[in-house]
Amino acid sequence: MRELELYFGPQHLGMVGNFSITLKVEGDRIIKASANPGYLHRGFEKLMEQRTWIQNFPLVCRINVVEPDHMELIYSMGVEKLAGIEVPKKGKYIRSIYCEMARVASHLFGAWAYANMLGFDTVANWAMYHRDLLLDMFEELTGARVYHIYIRPGGVRRDFPDGFTDRLVKTLHKIGGKVPDYNALFFENRLFKERAEGIGVVTREEAIRMGAVGHTIKAIGMEYDIRKIEPYAAYDQVDFNIPTRTGGDAYSRLLAIRDDMIESVHMIFKLIDKMPTNGEVCTKTPNPFKWKVPAGEAYVRCESSRGELGLYMVSNGGDKPYRVHFNTPSYNHGLTVLEKALEGESIADVGNIMISLYVVPPEIDR
Amino acid sequence: MASIIHKGNSKMTDLKQMLLSGFDDININIPEDNRMVVSTKKESVLSILIYLKKFGYNHFALVSCNDWIDDNEFELIYIVSAYQKNDEQYQDIEKSSIIVKTRISREKAKFITIIDIFENAEPYEREIHEMFGINFEGHPRLTPLMLERNYKIPPFRKDFDTNKYVENTFGKIPSIKERKEGNK
Amino acid sequence: MDRNKISKWLKNPGKMAHKYSFHVVYFCTGCGIIEIPPSITARWDAERFGIIPVATPRQANLFLITGYVSTKTLKAIIRTYEQMPDPKYTVALGSCPINGGMYYDSYNTITSLDKYIPVDGYIAGCMPRPEAIFIGVTHLWKLIDMDKADGYKRYREDYVHYRANQEQLFGELEWPPLFIKEIVK
Repeated sequence: MRELELYFGPQHLGMVGNFSITLKVEGDRIIKASANPGYLHRGFEKLMEQRTWIQNFPLVCRINVVEPDHMELIYSMGVEKLAGIEVPKKGKYIRSIYCEMARVASHLFGAWAYANMLGFDTVANWAMYHRDLLLDMFEELTGARVYHIYIRPGGVRRDFPDGFTDRLVKTLHKIGGKVPDYNALFFENRLFKERAEGIGVVTREEAIRMGAVGHTIKAIGMEYDIRKIEPYAAYDQVDFNIPTRTGGDAYSRLLAIRDDMIESVHMIFKLIDKMPTNGEVCTKTPNPFKWKVPAGEAYVRCESSRGELGLYMVSNGGDKPYRVHFNTPSYNHGLTVLEKALEGESIADVGNIMISLYVVPPEIDR
Repeated sequence: MASIIHKGNSKMTDLKQMLLSGFDDININIPEDNRMVVSTKKESVLSILIYLKKFGYNHFALVSCNDWIDDNEFELIYIVSAYQKNDEQYQDIEKSSIIVKTRISREKAKFITIIDIFENAEPYEREIHEMFGINFEGHPRLTPLMLERNYKIPPFRKDFDTNKYVENTFGKIPSIKERKEGNK
Repeated sequence: MDRNKISKWLKNPGKMAHKYSFHVVYFCTGCGIIEIPPSITARWDAERFGIIPVATPRQANLFLITGYVSTKTLKAIIRTYEQMPDPKYTVALGSCPINGGMYYDSYNTITSLDKYIPVDGYIAGCMPRPEAIFIGVTHLWKLIDMDKADGYKRYREDYVHYRANQEQLFGELEWPPLFIKEIVK
């Protein structure tokens, strides 16, 4: 048979975001795939060298559109490490609750994307509705639905309003009470098993060699989570598990995502019980117009909903950063693991594999 | 809840002794509990990375580059960390990351690739090639990854002025109304 | 149905049916794509306004450009726009297509979209809420009634100038010109 070169291009119904893959096919089977990023490149790391330390926060949010909160967190952690600032106790608890809320919202968005691509419109509508209830909570706390600029070096911007934790607990009970219906309709459905089992297999030896992180590693039985390895914020004060599966295919990855979401909801309840009621939420930083951070370099990492997120930052004693480099989890998954996992699959499964590897294109291009 | 007991610097100081005795012209300092910074000359980078991988650091995190234009040098940064060794408990070296640094000249910017040791370094080196202009010898495909056009100076260097570039390229294109009036 | 709408339907039924059934091309061009899924699902239902997403540009008549545009995406946008049949409308979201927005000094994003393809209207917000998108669509209905949403007619008449702008940015384009055989420089 003859070989044909196809563009699985940016304008496609099975593509999430603005990303393109060049496929070499023979009939309906893929022989070779090569990823083609760059449609969303803005040159963040160069733009951040021309704005002061505090002026960079609105830019940092927009690196990952689905979940901007962990980007603010990692940038704040880098600045705090260089300048030697400590976060007070209540600020740490508030940061943990805020990041876990963002994790639940991001997993619901991933459930929408996967169900929409497979054709399960009922579950897609449910997932978007429940995510919207959480966005209402974010709007009450910070004032905006999508890009909330809430974390700053030294703590958070303001304290929780009165009665916020009661309303948050009520919303989470409403979402959690619907999980048996999600299970019966989607995750334990025989059709979903047949469409996702055995697709896009990544074996253990391949995953370690190609640098996979996040749910791709958790689906082959390894517990690799930065919240346990290098605890930041208030994660060393609560007790939680890391859910894993064995199998390494798309089905195991989706189930690992569902278990992670349920574990996050339980963790928010435990954090709210242990949070101190009084205390400061932010340490004072110098005047932002004249703040010069001492010279040095720092490498910090945290766990976003897609995997391990790292930041390498260099300062030369001025009022602007000298070099900033983000190491996002989608960089490995979208460029190295995807090209290996697509060999031998059929064209109809490309969207399936891409969404189950949890790739978000703005994170690759920055 | 069971707290994870940090065994202190025992494994890091052992590693420091072994590296200092094995390689010459090397400079190590340990700024805090779980970070170690190794500065060395460019000929020993490959052998240090092979040694660290055998010691257990098998997760390659990133390759980055700094542009020290006042010294007329580039500085390449390699960061490695570790997956866990066995599945039952967390060992000590998972918490630590090691940073390896070296300097190369700015006029003739070239270095050797490390794809044979860590396979996932391939897109990182492609990006550094198109953004800084460093040539990696032995790399199978050094084609552009994200940029769509060629620039005279690679964009992330310190002597590339973004405001002037935007004015010369996008600012000089007239609007449709101006073109129609200019024609008549 | 209101009484004063019956006369509008009788005078020009094609225009009224065309207005109340927009088909949107499914192309996520930038940041603003994060507020489109809430708009088309059950909570902020967009189908009561007649908006529904379709798979190919050959079946569409509304193009939503959600946010900033980089040079690689601009090539894909021009090809998609030229594949849509007449009459078609373009709406841009946010402030980045007007004058560059917060990426005004980036070497990879363009500063003004109106120089390359015609834009009928802009919706404010970063990102615009679903309610803002719906208000923008109702404003577009009024423009269609008054015959002011004529982006596609401008593209057809002034194609020489649009093509000259596109070629000044990209150099030689790989596809032949759409409307005329030779371009007089």
